[in-house]
Amino acid sequence: MIEGWTALALSADLPPGVAVPGRLRGEDLVIWRSASGRLRAWGDRCPHRGMRLSHGFVRGETLACIYHGWTYDGTGACTLIPAHPDLEPPKSIRTQGYDCREAAGVIFAAAEGTGAALPDPGSLAPVRSLQMEGTTDAVARAAGMGTLADGMVRGTVDLDGAVAVALFLQTSGAGMTTVHALADRAPLAVSDWLERIREIVEG
Amino acid sequence: MITEANLSAWYPVGMAAAVGPAPGRATRLLGRAIRLFADAGTVRVTDDAGHELSVCTAYGHVWACPGTPAGPVFALPEADQPGRRLVDCGRVQVRCSALRAVENFLDIAHFPFIHAGILGAEPHTEVNRYEVAIREEVDEVWATKVSFYQPQAARSATGGVDVEYMYRVAAPTSAVLYKTSPPRPGEWDVIAIFVQPLDETTCDCWPWMALYDDDTPLAELIQFQQTIFLQDRSILENQIPALLPLDPGMETPTRADLTSIAYRRWLKRRGLTYGAQAVAA
Repeated sequence: MIEGWTALALSADLPPGVAVPGRLRGEDLVIWRSASGRLRAWGDRCPHRGMRLSHGFVRGETLACIYHGWTYDGTGACTLIPAHPDLEPPKSIRTQGYDCREAAGVIFAAAEGTGAALPDPGSLAPVRSLQMEGTTDAVARAAGMGTLADGMVRGTVDLDGAVAVALFLQTSGAGMTTVHALADRAPLAVSDWLERIREIVEG
Repeated sequence: MITEANLSAWYPVGMAAAVGPAPGRATRLLGRAIRLFADAGTVRVTDDAGHELSVCTAYGHVWACPGTPAGPVFALPEADQPGRRLVDCGRVQVRCSALRAVENFLDIAHFPFIHAGILGAEPHTEVNRYEVAIREEVDEVWATKVSFYQPQAARSATGGVDVEYMYRVAAPTSAVLYKTSPPRPGEWDVIAIFVQPLDETTCDCWPWMALYDDDTPLAELIQFQQTIFLQDRSILENQIPALLPLDPGMETPTRADLTSIAYRRWLKRRGLTYGAQAVAA
């Protein structure tokens, strides 16, 4: 079976020049966007001393580790070891790569070389992400939207009129789910509704 | 994993000046609950079952050995040199392996990034060649001829200087650095980190100093060290894995890491595996 894509964040929450942590099937990831807007997802470990790269800093088209400034280009290759600025880093020093794409205002990641198609939420707009304490199944049940397909549930919610909603459900920790919500209208009402879902899930 | 080598080493368990009467200070050592308290003028350390641990007092701290001590606590002759100010810096608890805390203390390449504006500053990031040896006669790791540009090398420093260092691993979880003393360029200031492994992934760091500095108020000296250690903590609690890998392959050292390479080799050779990642077969 081909491992599919997992939604990790909304595009709007990751502006250029920023690195954030993410979580994919139990693995810690760093997701970052370069100054020119290129998006990358890697294992959240600097190959040097295992420091989390999500604490690092983006400079131009590179991400540098906060610990010793080891700098990685968009291909994940180490291009600078500041302790030895004249040394050309060995080609073997690379970050752990993941596939990372965005569609419909959502950032997705998958194992490198995945052949799976990106999930398609249709013409809905991103609303917000929200973390809750509960499994993805519990969140899907609370939302009353049937079973998960492609990491997504979708349906219609009555919020002073029918609103088409899609929820990407991401396991973001042990027993934790992050919901990335999209809707065709009424983002504030959808946001309030998500808070109510969280209250139900967290009991 | 606790080995005989781990059990026969000395570990700091508290500041000597702060030991009170029973029940005293409750803490942990190598995952085991212990207490230290003053009893008729002597310091005692016991575990929950009432067993006595070997105890001694040195360099402002109480040291305990859970097994049979392999020898006395390491020598630090600077502690007895006249004119030096001995400073207990208190405790910084860190959720990391004691070995990662020591390794970080031995590292200079992180100064411009983690202690920016204090112990280092970009673009002065280059680590010059230095010398590392395992001194068999004392069973210690030494790094010498280390030098680095620092914007504010010490509380008593004014302006940037090239600072010379020596580093010394004096015990499995204790390290000492010697650095140029700003008021006395011909002498070394001594800064040590005594690390108490509470369990494999939590430790208490007890920084201690022997300085030539009669002017800076005590509170400022302590504040300076606490600032440095709190900056280090943000790193130490975010390294993956939490345990220190002793085998090559998991992490990628460079020439600036010669001290770390020697420390890991020394730990592995002596079987000091508590706080280290299980060695691959």
